[in-house]
Amino acid sequence: MNFDWTTFVLEIINFLILVWILKRFLYQPVLGVIARRRADIDKSLSDALQIRNEANELKARNEQYLIEWEAKKEAAQAQLNAELTSMRESKLAELETRINEEAERRRVLTERNRHEFERLMEERGIAQGATFTNKLLMRLASPELENRLYIVLMEDLQGLRQQDKHVIAVAAEEPGLQIKIQSAFSLDTSKRGELTRSLNQMTGKTLPVVFNTNPELISGFQIDIGAWILHANLRDELKSFGGVLRHAG
Amino acid sequence: MDIPTVVFYVGPFGITSIVVTTWGIMITLGICCWLGTRRLALVPGKLQTMLEGLVLAIEDNINAVIPDHTQQVLPFIATLWVYIVIANLTGLIPQLHSPTGSFSVTAGLALLVFLSVHWFGIRSGGARNYLRHYLSPTPLLLPFHLISEVTRTIALAVRLFGNIMSLELVALLVLLVAGLLVPVPLLMLHVIEALVQAYIFGMLALIYVAGAMQSQQESKKGNDI
Repeated sequence: MNFDWTTFVLEIINFLILVWILKRFLYQPVLGVIARRRADIDKSLSDALQIRNEANELKARNEQYLIEWEAKKEAAQAQLNAELTSMRESKLAELETRINEEAERRRVLTERNRHEFERLMEERGIAQGATFTNKLLMRLASPELENRLYIVLMEDLQGLRQQDKHVIAVAAEEPGLQIKIQSAFSLDTSKRGELTRSLNQMTGKTLPVVFNTNPELISGFQIDIGAWILHANLRDELKSFGGVLRHAG
Repeated sequence: MDIPTVVFYVGPFGITSIVVTTWGIMITLGICCWLGTRRLALVPGKLQTMLEGLVLAIEDNINAVIPDHTQQVLPFIATLWVYIVIANLTGLIPQLHSPTGSFSVTAGLALLVFLSVHWFGIRSGGARNYLRHYLSPTPLLLPFHLISEVTRTIALAVRLFGNIMSLELVALLVLLVAGLLVPVPLLMLHVIEALVQAYIFGMLALIYVAGAMQSQQESKKGNDI
């Protein structure tokens, strides 16, 4: 067991230097990088934890949004259904009204067409009747029939109401007026005189009278005193008859 | 065992082969550590993983004994382990001797442990409190405390020196008697013994330092109560 003081002292110094070398080039760098790594891992873990918390928060918020959205959707759907039901009922009512109106319109139209048809039929019937009557009376027209109508004319003139006589008197007030008497057949002198007297008596004046023959009258007379016209012939009677029937129809 | 030869002189001081070997170990360790730690990255490579594993293993061992002052004592204790392992294994290289096979080296290391115990103890709680623990539980035990301090330091030095020196001596004798290949198993035993002795030396130093620091803390607690 040799002991050398120089070696002893130098070994102590060498060891202390070695402590410094290893501390400087081994322990500090390695522990430093380990500490940095741990800090990095801790930071990553902290970040991950924070991200997870944020994700959980977002998830919870999204779930809440989904619940709210679902509730809104259900409410909107219920409102939509109610609106659709209301609208359908309204449309149905409107459609029913339109159908009823259309049915009424068709009924009215049908009724009017039926009335029109009936009227046409009536008019055609009346026209046919008038034509038939016209043809029949034209065949029956003769001086004898006109004599008979002359008697009727005279009776009518005699039986005029006071009011009608007044109207005729007013019409005769027109200056320069002349009485026009048309007949289907020529009148003899006695009838002309009798008519002239009767008319002068009725108007209360002595007016000039003009006699004309008009075969279109078929049979009978037409007396014009200004604006007042007396129809006593088959033509106008037939016209009047047709008009009465038309109005009656 | 050969007596360490003086390689050269610096004035009156003869520099032995042991010191030169130690310098070689220091230079090698310094270069290796510089090369290994100059490009440390958060994602480690193989060499960085090995270095981190070594430092973390040492840190864990220290942390298991003295958790409150791990970083404080780590450089000293870790250097003891690293240096003694390398020094013990140097004897396996032909033409070189383990520095720890010299009593001058182990005595120096033991003296450093002795001084570091008091250094860390005093730094931990002050000289007054530290010295007070020698008087506890009774001042009558002061001589025994002092004898204990000296003897355990000597035991540290002699244990390491004796084991390593005897290993080299036995290997030399077996090589001389049995031939070239027979000492190989013995060399394997040398490796194991080198690791075990380094671990024992470093662990004892750690326990002594921890004892000094914890006795200090216990004294503080007693005063607080």
